[in-house]
Amino acid sequence: MNTQIRHLAAGLLVCYLVLFVQLNLLQVVKRDRIASNTNNTRAVLRDFDKPRGPIVTADGVTIAMSEPTDPTIDKTFKYQRKYPTGELFANVSGYYTYAFGATKIEKKYTDVLAGRTSEQQLRSIASIFSNQDSTGSVQLTMRADLQQVARDALGANEGSVVVLDPRTGAVLAMWSYPSYDPNLVAVHNNKQANDVIQFLNALPGKPTLANAYQERYMPGSTFKVITAGIALENGLIDFSSTWANETSYTPPQTTNPIGNYHGELCGGDLREVFRRSCNTVFARTAVAVGADKMVAGTAAWGVGEKIPFDLPGGAVSNFGTVAELKDAIPKLAIRGFGQDDDLMVPLHMAMVAATVANGGVMMQPYVVAATLDHDGKVLNQTTPQVWKTPISPTTAVKLTDLMIGVVQNGTAKCCLQLANGIQAAAKTGTAQLNAQGQPQRSHAWIIAFAPADQPQYAVAVMFKGVNADISASTGGRLAGPVAKTILDWALAHPLGERK
Amino acid sequence: MHPLSRRSTELGLVIMAATITAAAYTLALLGKKSTIPPIIVPFFVALLGLLLLAHLATRLLARGADSTLLPLAAMLHGIGYVMIARLNDRLAALQTTWTFVAIAAYIATLLVVQRAPDLARYKWTFFILGAGLLLLPLVPGVGRSVGGARIWVNLGPINFQPGEFAKILLALFFAGYLYERRELIAASTWHLGPLRLPEPRYFFPIVLAWGFAVIVMVGEKDLGTSLLFFTLFVVMLWVATERATFLVLGLVLFGGAAYMSFRMFHHVRDRVDIWLDPWSRYQGKGYQIVQGIFAIGDGGLGGTGLGQGRPDLVPAVQNDFIFAAIAEELGLFGATAVLISFLLIVGAGLRIAVRAERPFEKLLATGLTALLGVQAFIIIGGVIRVVPLTGIALPFVSYGGSSLVANYVLLALLMRVSDSTSRRIGELPDDPTINERFLAWKLRRQLRKQTKRTGATTAGPTDVSSDDTVLVTGHVRSVE
Repeated sequence: MNTQIRHLAAGLLVCYLVLFVQLNLLQVVKRDRIASNTNNTRAVLRDFDKPRGPIVTADGVTIAMSEPTDPTIDKTFKYQRKYPTGELFANVSGYYTYAFGATKIEKKYTDVLAGRTSEQQLRSIASIFSNQDSTGSVQLTMRADLQQVARDALGANEGSVVVLDPRTGAVLAMWSYPSYDPNLVAVHNNKQANDVIQFLNALPGKPTLANAYQERYMPGSTFKVITAGIALENGLIDFSSTWANETSYTPPQTTNPIGNYHGELCGGDLREVFRRSCNTVFARTAVAVGADKMVAGTAAWGVGEKIPFDLPGGAVSNFGTVAELKDAIPKLAIRGFGQDDDLMVPLHMAMVAATVANGGVMMQPYVVAATLDHDGKVLNQTTPQVWKTPISPTTAVKLTDLMIGVVQNGTAKCCLQLANGIQAAAKTGTAQLNAQGQPQRSHAWIIAFAPADQPQYAVAVMFKGVNADISASTGGRLAGPVAKTILDWALAHPLGERK
Repeated sequence: MHPLSRRSTELGLVIMAATITAAAYTLALLGKKSTIPPIIVPFFVALLGLLLLAHLATRLLARGADSTLLPLAAMLHGIGYVMIARLNDRLAALQTTWTFVAIAAYIATLLVVQRAPDLARYKWTFFILGAGLLLLPLVPGVGRSVGGARIWVNLGPINFQPGEFAKILLALFFAGYLYERRELIAASTWHLGPLRLPEPRYFFPIVLAWGFAVIVMVGEKDLGTSLLFFTLFVVMLWVATERATFLVLGLVLFGGAAYMSFRMFHHVRDRVDIWLDPWSRYQGKGYQIVQGIFAIGDGGLGGTGLGQGRPDLVPAVQNDFIFAAIAEELGLFGATAVLISFLLIVGAGLRIAVRAERPFEKLLATGLTALLGVQAFIIIGGVIRVVPLTGIALPFVSYGGSSLVANYVLLALLMRVSDSTSRRIGELPDDPTINERFLAWKLRRQLRKQTKRTGATTAGPTDVSSDDTVLVTGHVRSVE
């Protein structure tokens, strides 16, 4: 019988060896595959039971943070994500939920915030026994004070405000209305969170979508900066160019005339037609430049390309393709002054103003200045980078000249005279949305920068054409005062002089 | 190793097991609440006291027994207890009670069963009890279905899983039956075509056992217990007859029954489907095993640390899936330690079987060890998808009174066989047991009375009083 017993022992040994091999497969070999299974919520759960680092603005305001939960009330997780500024930064911070994932910075920088980057892990090895958490923080370029000013200035109007530092591309403020309170989404009760998300998604204004960089709109006459820039670069126009006065222009291939605003008679030299924003002139200019060069020219401004922004999910501006426009001269003509399928992301329009201000160099926009570890040591610092150089410095000077004219004696004369006599440069726009026979609806735009001689701030303000109220006015009268308020306040309150 | 130093080794190992358990308990509570609770000191004292009690009982009642079995069981029991305590305070309190009962059952078994061969005499009693317990859950009004399997019994205030006790009783029966008939069965004088089978009347109990396994599988939907019983029986038959034919025959019979039930019963088919592909059944019946795999994978090499993981996400994690919780929080290292512990128990148990001289004890030790080893394999293999999952407790580790108490009784029986062998092969003097001393005393008194009454002066009584052991042993141990 002993032989059999020994065989039995060997058999059981083999059985247990099989268990050991399978255990190794599950815990070592296939570990990553198991962890990345879509149903596996363990990594997320672990994060929810751990603190998570804050997101802080340039002026030191915490816009997202983790608070320990009271275990007698909330047994789900040990920490609750809070957004102390509520709606103000919702479209930058995003939200961080268990059941519905994370968005915006909470998504993109989740590893840093949770302390999961390899660098943080390495640094925290030293403090493994001191029970210190390894969470990181995200430092924004944005200013909470300026953001508040932008929010107040836009008021309860659907639209957006973007303020950039033209020299670096740093986003100083970026407000989209409507917004939402991420605290309502980040609740631990999944049912409640789901209800809130469903409700928000059903709202017509799409509050969870930041219209400042996740939507695109017809830019109207603000696009003339780009068209003028392309024509100047190609040497087709200059300050010496003149255009005859006309009320309308009928491009080839169509019988529909393009009219000026209010059917005005419009013409003269370049400064004149730019400050008065003659549609006929820029339609003719776009046609003169031709589809090939217009498409190439707009591409040089980054139109049609994803903006290299550090917030995920940005929209892409559109002008059109050569194939689409080559034999469609009327379309090329009206897109030349920012109508039809010419669609621009508000952030992109702020970058257009910033490019003129920055001597023709378009910087990559960014909202994250740096990521820091738990001890405040820098993990990664954003260095400003050039994205595009669509125009030469000479052209930039000429465009600045033209945009100053708009403020001094043109469509923005009413509303962009800054305090202390500081000179701003701007271009307004009114993009008509209505087809013929429909009630008038328009987006109202202004892009501007100041001071004109040494630009510090570039801004784009957009009022979305949601009803007929915006129809009567041009961008200057509606969006101008918002830009003025923001530029005045920003120039009076440089970041260094914090209270 | 000198047989007497075995107990000192055991003492050292038991203290080590208690210390590891207490350390793990502290870590688990720390991981949960981040403060060291004051309960840790009384916990350690009670734990050590309980294990020392078991050790002392062994020292008194089975001092020649194997030195590693009790510490290994204590270790597994400790890890399981820590896991349960970390998961659920209420269950931990109940498990504490069961721990006391289990240790008491261990000592009581050592006390009651002092001569292992005596057990062979009660084989039919064991059979009736075992079969009765096994079928008890099927009795209307008494049996209770929990989670699809009808393996619970409600008797007034007592709920228990009779299968856990039945397995020991049936191992006792098989050992008793087979050691008597093994040669007759092995002779296989009945020719059926090319097959040489034992005479039908010796073969009948084999079919009966198979029938039981099928009844359990079909009636109680308890695949795990069914598989365990049948494996036990086949292994014991094979070892007893020394004929591999029975192993093959057993496998064929079980395979046939398994295939039939796979075709006929959807719950068997479900288990196999889930085993083959749990991922696509995540929202339904595969949820538990997928969550278990997630937990195990999450553990990695070193585990999340006690109290740091989320084993609570796995349904019934304190019962069948406790191994997943261990693999999660203690990692590959901890899970391997559990595997090795079971392997060492299997090794120690089978060494006892090899060393044992009497066939009955050999078979009994083999059967009991196979029970532990196979049961652990079935459930661990089910959890980590080596075999289809069948709900059964992980011995010593899982939550549950029936399983814990039964396995300590099983352990005590193994210890008894081990002790009995070391006396038999002369490592230790074969002292009379307490019961035997009592019988001897009674006999002496009787003889003395007789002598007084008759006034006879034969040599007999004088011999008895001077060397009673020989005589008494001869009287009482007439079984062999």
